[in-house]
Amino acid sequence: MALSVLIVDDHPSFRASARMLLEAEGFDVVGEAEDGRAALRAVRELRPDVVLLDVQLPDLNGLQVAERLSANGAVPAIVLTSSRDLDDIGAVRGVRGFIPKSELSGPALEALLTP
Amino acid sequence: MTSLRPALYGLAALALLFGLIDFGLVLTSDFLSVRGVWASAGLLVGWGFIGVGLFAWWRRPDNRVGMLMAATGFAWLLSLVGASDSELLFTIGQATSSIFFATAIHMLLAAPDGWLHTRIERRIVAVGYLVVIVLVPPLYLFVDPARDLDCRECPDNLLFVARDETVLNAFGAILNVIGITIVVAVLLSLVRRWRRAPAPERRLYAAVYACGIALMLALIGLFALQSVSNDSDALDVLFAVAIAPLALIPYLYLAALVRARVLEGGAMGELVARLGEAPRAGELRDALAGALNDPSLELFYWLPAERGWVDPDGHRVELPGEGSGRAVTGVERDGERLAAIVHDPSLLAARAHVRAVGAVASLALENERLDAELRCKVDDLRASRERMLRIGLEERRRLERDLHDGAQQRLVSLALNLRLARGRLRDDPDAADRLLAGASEELEAALEELRELARGIHPALLSDRGLETALETLAHRAPVPVRLGELPDERLPEAVELAAYFVVSEALTNVAKYAAASEATVSVGRDDGRIVVEVADDGVGGADPERGTGLRGLADRLAVLEGRLEVDSERGHGTTVRARIPCG
Repeated sequence: MALSVLIVDDHPSFRASARMLLEAEGFDVVGEAEDGRAALRAVRELRPDVVLLDVQLPDLNGLQVAERLSANGAVPAIVLTSSRDLDDIGAVRGVRGFIPKSELSGPALEALLTP
Repeated sequence: MTSLRPALYGLAALALLFGLIDFGLVLTSDFLSVRGVWASAGLLVGWGFIGVGLFAWWRRPDNRVGMLMAATGFAWLLSLVGASDSELLFTIGQATSSIFFATAIHMLLAAPDGWLHTRIERRIVAVGYLVVIVLVPPLYLFVDPARDLDCRECPDNLLFVARDETVLNAFGAILNVIGITIVVAVLLSLVRRWRRAPAPERRLYAAVYACGIALMLALIGLFALQSVSNDSDALDVLFAVAIAPLALIPYLYLAALVRARVLEGGAMGELVARLGEAPRAGELRDALAGALNDPSLELFYWLPAERGWVDPDGHRVELPGEGSGRAVTGVERDGERLAAIVHDPSLLAARAHVRAVGAVASLALENERLDAELRCKVDDLRASRERMLRIGLEERRRLERDLHDGAQQRLVSLALNLRLARGRLRDDPDAADRLLAGASEELEAALEELRELARGIHPALLSDRGLETALETLAHRAPVPVRLGELPDERLPEAVELAAYFVVSEALTNVAKYAAASEATVSVGRDDGRIVVEVADDGVGGADPERGTGLRGLADRLAVLEGRLEVDSERGHGTTVRARIPCG
């Protein structure tokens, strides 16, 4: 069964490209959110297996969203993404991993989700 | 004040003549007893007040005490006319016999600086004049000297209409109550003034204050006795007791003036010596504070270029206004405003001395003004440098955000689309083709955004082709129609061209965002060694240069080149942004 994904990003062009790419590679994109608060709501409602979470959002940043999600019981796998490099973001705890936006692909996401 | 001296001589001559006439009237009076004593005492008081008053008026023309003292002397001489055996003069003298009380009260409350400081003092003086000029003369409509003043030898009162004891007693009682109220109020005001006076003033005018208080106490006694008894002998004795402190006041005031003059002379000598030692920062204030015996003294300097005042450290200040409890004396040099001495209001009594101290110190004040101006400029430069740094940081942050939100996002999408296209190249070539076309559009848009960003950092067109072409392009790209006026046909220094370019760029951006204008005009001309860049629109106006970082940032850029930014933006009349940049 395909893993369900929620895409959280404030750039519509990225959300559209990421949805096409992930769906083409076998993921089930169940929703999109354009800021941190919408993401928290969407996780509660859609209960996705994976949250692809942009680090830079207009209200809460991705790290704050990840922290709040971790505080709520059933935690989806959180994968951070950014157009910046990991060096620009620094070490992050409580998430499954990090994928630079330009390197996003189904296999890259699967590699992070496989224990 | 060249016309003052002849006027004072004229008043002195009048006082001499008036006094001699009074002297004759008193000596030949048929109804006065101890005429010799009255005539001498009368002259001592009248000439004393007028002489000292005219002297004080001459020495301190802007202090009203001298004038009030002279007025008191003349009012006193007028009251002595009442000693005449002529019915007319007797009547005039009697009806005006209290005026000198009002002028004396005014003088006592105004001393030593010549001003009535509180509303209560002003009211006391106003009521005093009202009583002696408006209320007392009608009293004489009912006074028969033979019966009411117990004076059978007195001439007839020409104002006398009818004898009505009830009216006379009621009128007299009311005037007594008003009189006693005024005198008590004056007494309290004098005590209050004495307690609040700065120590030097208290020392200098102690005897004058004491005499004023003694006079008021004697008058309270006089009014009190008048209201309970008609014993004319007792009233005469008490009147004579009241006259003693009154007679002393001008002479004690003269002594205080002379002492002040001696002290001022000594202080001035000391000041000249201290100024000769080239005072360092702060010492000039101390020297002036010492010379004027006012530790609270402050010095402020006028900066003509800033059209404002600064303290010796170059910080902008406002001069204290009315009601601040401080007084200000200006200092000029060669007819130009130079400095302001902010001092205790008690020094207004010796304003000429404050001005003299300012004049003596004017060279040193000029030097300190230049120092203050330099410090003010350094402060301005420091503030401008800090703003430039902050603006630089903000610009870098904005640049990073623009790159992240613009070109970087487009390139990310481009990378994803290319990967998708690659995956579909074999199975679905049409889909791959559409994806590649989209990627190509993203690439174009990313390139355009990068070009726009680069232009914002430094317009290459300006360096390569000059200001005229760069401004033509700016005008062409602006969303509002732009008419170009005069533009320089020669190359200007690079920093000037860059500043002019950014002024036009920022101003046109503002026109597009806020002005709701139908047209804008841009011109760059020369005026008196300066480049004048002007952007005007016909929009809504009302732009505030203090709001928003754009115009302030421009002002800082210009300040580095010693340029200035002006914004005329009356609401409803469009906006004109004008930059003046020194150039060759």
